[in-house]
Amino acid sequence: MTSLRVDAEVAENRDEGGANRRLRLRVPDWPGSAPGQFVMLSPGVRSSVERFDPLLPRPMAVYRVHDGCLEVLYKVTGRGTALLADARSGERVRVVGPLGKGFPESVGKCLLVGGGTGIASLYDLAARDRERSHVLLGARSQRDLMGQEDFAALGVALSIATEDGSTGSSGLVTALLERELETATNATVFACGPTPMMRASAEIAAKHGARCFVSLENPMACGIGVCQGCAAPRANGGYALVCRDGPVFDANEVLWEAMP
Amino acid sequence: MSVDTRVNWGGVALRNPVLTASGTFGYGMEFAPFFDLTRIGGIVAKSLTLEPRIGHPPARIAEVPSGMLNAIGLENVGVDAFLNEKLPALPEGVTVVASVFGTDIESYAEVCKRLAGSRVAALEVNASCPHVKSGGMEFGQNPRVLAELVRATRQAASVPVAIKLSPNVTDIAELARVCEGEGADALSLINTLQVLDVDLKTRRPRLRNTLGGLSGPAILPLALRMVWQASRAVRIPVCGIGGIQSGEDAAKFLLCGATAVQVGTANYTNPRAALDVAEGLEAFAESQGVTRLTDLIGGLETEPA
Ligand SMILES: Cc1cc2nc3c(=O)[nH]c(=O)nc-3n(C[C@H](O)[C@H](O)[C@H](O)COP(=O)(O)OP(=O)(O)OC[C@H]3O[C@@H](n4cnc5c(N)ncnc54)[C@H](O)[C@@H]3O)c2cc1C
Ligand SMILES: Cc1cc2nc3c(=O)[nH]c(=O)nc-3n(C[C@H](O)[C@H](O)[C@H](O)COP(=O)(O)O)c2cc1C
Ligand code: FES
Repeated sequence: MTSLRVDAEVAENRDEGGANRRLRLRVPDWPGSAPGQFVMLSPGVRSSVERFDPLLPRPMAVYRVHDGCLEVLYKVTGRGTALLADARSGERVRVVGPLGKGFPESVGKCLLVGGGTGIASLYDLAARDRERSHVLLGARSQRDLMGQEDFAALGVALSIATEDGSTGSSGLVTALLERELETATNATVFACGPTPMMRASAEIAAKHGARCFVSLENPMACGIGVCQGCAAPRANGGYALVCRDGPVFDANEVLWEAMP
Repeated sequence: MSVDTRVNWGGVALRNPVLTASGTFGYGMEFAPFFDLTRIGGIVAKSLTLEPRIGHPPARIAEVPSGMLNAIGLENVGVDAFLNEKLPALPEGVTVVASVFGTDIESYAEVCKRLAGSRVAALEVNASCPHVKSGGMEFGQNPRVLAELVRATRQAASVPVAIKLSPNVTDIAELARVCEGEGADALSLINTLQVLDVDLKTRRPRLRNTLGGLSGPAILPLALRMVWQASRAVRIPVCGIGGIQSGEDAAKFLLCGATAVQVGTANYTNPRAALDVAEGLEAFAESQGVTRLTDLIGGLETEPA
């Protein structure tokens, strides 16, 4: 799948509750993407006047392609995403993608574990393996949860955990994973979220003899394997580039104690 | 009207003056999906060491206003893998410059020797990396050591040699003259500026290496100043580097005395940046009625009109 660089028209950029937003972009030449791939998005609108601050594009998962639009679910966390939130319909943002390697094919049951913005990386995977998937979503609070209705509409098995108990069970999403793995046989875990959550998922999966794939969220500058800024330490020495060799990795390949 | 964009950078004929900066363009093919690599002047590949090299632990990059910090640690595939795997992948029409790095003068020279007889059009000796423990910047800061480095690499090379200088010096003109005196064919400047930034939440440096190199639009005026000073001090051609995002930026470097330019950090924000700069430079010249880009070189007017 070859990558594009386009200044895409914003079809919609809407509030999804809390700090979450949904950006829908018209990318007529989009070549398609595999679940788990991502794009680099300019930190805000591209206008006739060049702006150099903030400078670097932001990595964002391809949430899905829907109604002719590339969709991104994002959370306003800093300056770049705050500027992105100002983009109005008809304005343009730069997209480079699809990038990276997505989730591998699996057999048997799929346990998808999403936390925070990591949830956005899992929708296409759940859609691909709908019948075999059980999606476990975690957030601090109900209003922080991303994409809940979309997952529900897919008809996949869905369980939710919030730290404040405002919806679903109270506690961490990894507790749901632990519970599922007690009974599941031949399951594969796919996790994306904060590093401690992914690490815990990997440990729980290992304890139950399940394979685990994680989608890492390291800071990036280029997204195409040339700056070497996104290095993740490998268990067998050296570094992998998250943008080029990942973002999806077998959890055993990652040297968790050295992750930034 | 068409503009003659050809320039000669120390014996290397370039179809236009726009190259890509080492470390910001990988080994070239990463950009093949985005534009035809034969349409820019050439590419400077990631700095090569004798052996493959693992870089610094993360965090390796951080964003700052109009720029970025990096401390990659010169991670690279090594000169042999470059010759066997990376170089053959590049289309024939692409002008390739290899960047050379070493931890001592002998290893710099050995990398140059291995590259002899290959298709690389020139070597760029990285005497200026600000954040590796041994080698790099030290070589570019001490005139005596720099002289020795230029001599050794010049002798080992079979193609023109450019020396890439550090901005982390007090007198760039002096160092430029040292390079010229020892037979360097060209100069490239600037590499990144040595800097530090702090994460207030953790009270730690933002980069794991503590110190890093600043690049991007923030450094452009400093790069212009140094290119101007260096190009006035020597007759060998200078390649201007630092914060270039557009054809207009490139034109400023030519006016300050640069014969060619390199596009660096802009490749991250726009993978077509090098071609956009080349096209923008040509369009700028055309809009000014300039028929040859060489007519812009050194055209900075400092006397009152
Ligand atoms: C492969 C991948 C996919 C991602 N997918 C999504 C997604 O679908 N939805 C979503 O909301 N977020 C996603 N993220 C995280 C997102 O990139 C950051 O939230 C965003 O870059 C923050 O930018 P900012 O300007 O708001 O924050 P600032 O803190 O102002 O950013 C400063 C710098 O740090 C980087 N940075 C800060 N936080 C992160 C982070 N968590 N991960 C990576 N870089 C960071 C920024 O890119 C920028 O270079 C993804 C990250 C990666 C690596
Ligand atoms: C992530 C990164 C890696 C770099 N690696 C190298 C390198 O290997 N060798 C080198 O000579 N310069 C390296 N540089 C410096 C650039 O080639 C260039 O001199 C500098 O970034 C200034 O140009 P810019 O502002 O256009 O980026 C690197 C720069 C960055 C940002
Ligand atoms: S972000 Fe540049 S190499 Fe991965």
